[in-house]
Amino acid sequence: MHSPETSVVRHAPLWPLLVKELWEILSGRALWTMLLLLCPLIGSSFVQAVSLYSEASAAALQSPVLARGLSPLDGVLVPALGAWYVGTTLLFPFVAIRVLSQEKESGALRLLVQLPYRASTLLTAKLVAVLAAWVLASLPAVSALGIWGLLGGHVSPPETLTLLVGHLCYGLLVGAIALFAAALADSAATAAIITLAFTIGSWVLDFTVAGRPGVLAWVAGLSLTQTLRPFEQGLLELRLVVGITAAIGGFAALAAVWLPPGVTVRTKLSRSLGCLLVTGVLLALATQISLARDVTEDQRNSFPPADQWALAQLTQPLVVTVHLAPEDPRYADLQREVLAKLARALPHVTIRLASGRHTLTSSAGDEAYGEVAYAYGAHVATSRSTSPREILPLLYDLAQVPVPTAIAADAYPGYPCVANAQAALLWFCGGLPLCIGLTWWWTRRPPHIDRSVCMQEVNHADW
Amino acid sequence: MRGTHSETQEGDALSVCVEGQAPILLQVTALTKRYGDQIALADIALTVRAGEILGLIGPNGAGKTTLLEVLAGVLPADAADLCWRGAPLPPARRRDVLFYLPDGLRPYHEQPVARVLAFFAGVYRRSPAHMADVVAAVGLAPVLAKRVHALSKGYSRRLMLAVGLLTPQPLLLMDEPFDGFDLRQTREIMGVLRRCAAAGRTLVLAIHQLLDAERVCDRFVLLADGRVRGAGTLDELRTRTQFPAGSLEEVFLALT
Repeated sequence: MHSPETSVVRHAPLWPLLVKELWEILSGRALWTMLLLLCPLIGSSFVQAVSLYSEASAAALQSPVLARGLSPLDGVLVPALGAWYVGTTLLFPFVAIRVLSQEKESGALRLLVQLPYRASTLLTAKLVAVLAAWVLASLPAVSALGIWGLLGGHVSPPETLTLLVGHLCYGLLVGAIALFAAALADSAATAAIITLAFTIGSWVLDFTVAGRPGVLAWVAGLSLTQTLRPFEQGLLELRLVVGITAAIGGFAALAAVWLPPGVTVRTKLSRSLGCLLVTGVLLALATQISLARDVTEDQRNSFPPADQWALAQLTQPLVVTVHLAPEDPRYADLQREVLAKLARALPHVTIRLASGRHTLTSSAGDEAYGEVAYAYGAHVATSRSTSPREILPLLYDLAQVPVPTAIAADAYPGYPCVANAQAALLWFCGGLPLCIGLTWWWTRRPPHIDRSVCMQEVNHADW
Repeated sequence: MRGTHSETQEGDALSVCVEGQAPILLQVTALTKRYGDQIALADIALTVRAGEILGLIGPNGAGKTTLLEVLAGVLPADAADLCWRGAPLPPARRRDVLFYLPDGLRPYHEQPVARVLAFFAGVYRRSPAHMADVVAAVGLAPVLAKRVHALSKGYSRRLMLAVGLLTPQPLLLMDEPFDGFDLRQTREIMGVLRRCAAAGRTLVLAIHQLLDAERVCDRFVLLADGRVRGAGTLDELRTRTQFPAGSLEEVFLALT
């Protein structure tokens, strides 16, 4: 036997850690069970979405006007991947929690923290394993996109990639929360409760406080589902990507703080405070980023190109004061059709909701209710319209610039597609689960053992 | 190493490097650990000398595991001063110089034994030949393809020992290394540990079976109720207790 060379250990290669984490996540049943559950979920959502889209397309094939309203992003991709979102919300936490809690519960964490890696390195490796699990979990969704293409459906690469980026951000955020919960809790069950409190709690926020004014509006903004919505609408907002990345980093950092068992709770709390402060600053900075890109083919999130260009030239601040209750459907229309687009098109826009005193029931006698005041420079104009066709000329008038001439561009044609996706159920309920099962079996095979390792004689002389 | 030390009180030996004795690797003073109001370890002081096998002896609940975990830095202490070769050793740097093998651990139980060993060998850049040596030394070859959860208690102990032998730190702390082995296996593993120490590695073993400890250890620290009741070689302890031919068991009973 070779002499057990002793030395002070400070550094170690990263790859054994990464390989170990990947094998750990592949060896667990949670990942494969989630994959097997996702197959029929995504498959049935996809088939139903294609069926509905085909029904709408049948009428639109004869009418270009109707066809323009048919976008595969809204009609097929978002609904089909909606099942993936449900899977990420309800099932993915269990996969991510296992990455850490398995070691905590078995006691292997006490070995892991003695290895020559920083806690942040350990957590990064675990986050990479979570990312790998997410990539595997994306297979049913990606195969749905492929089948849609095979059926003759239109796939816009920018829209699809943006949607996938959104799901990636959401998945990693859920994964980072799960790792934090696993680092904090003593058992996987407790970690699952903490993580589901975040994910399912977001649904509660969506149902109860969304659209409410004041503090409740801010609370509603904390919902995790808000992170996915802009991507589903074909909007790539840098502030959102940076914000989610900061949140993922924040949760991972907190997990790294709470991971080592040899540190006192007081020290962990003070380090957590530092993490929260840094993350908070990064999130605040992220909100200041206004760069956004409308990746949809029909440019639904933007004004026409001529207006976009003309609005970008308005250098003075525009202040919009809305006299509408947040729960008023007109406010939702105004927000979607005008205010959100203005915020992206103009360099300086401030939107004030004069809703502190407005509710749908209390505003019946208020004559100003429904008015929207636009202040640009020294000029102010009011309107009750929620249509950009009326509001944009009003803004040009305020800014004393001419109404821009429309730029000739190819109109969005729409992508009707009549297809029958029933046969895809064979793939989602048969072929794909079979492939997943075979891969699972492959990962469970005993490793190849080098015979020289088994046949080695002990060299006592070296001891 | 056996019987070469002359210190009678750990405290006396801390600052003295007697000629002919191995140098002090680890020096522990004023180590205290509480769980709420309960004192698990009270003002522990001990030294570990290079190349020796030091036995932490005590009944269940004496604080052996707690002491090892605090030394390894996987459990926070309320107070502790550790010095490594005379220089302060903060908790964050403990893993640089020592490695702790907990009791009853089955790490990564979904993985085959070979993969677990390959992981630790990869982390510490151990060659395949070194890994093969370790596998042969602890007798793990028949179960390399088995998953850890399918191992018997004895083989899972061998796996942990193999992990310890793959680590390069000069000091190896082991909690109950012979638990789960029969007499023949215990003697075999003792031989492995003896060769490990002879090759220059220092071992601290927490053992509650006094007969096993007497066979393998050079020096002893006797723990009871979280306090050090005695320390030294068996001869020194015999002298202190006035049992010239006493066994470790008799000495331990006299001191605790």
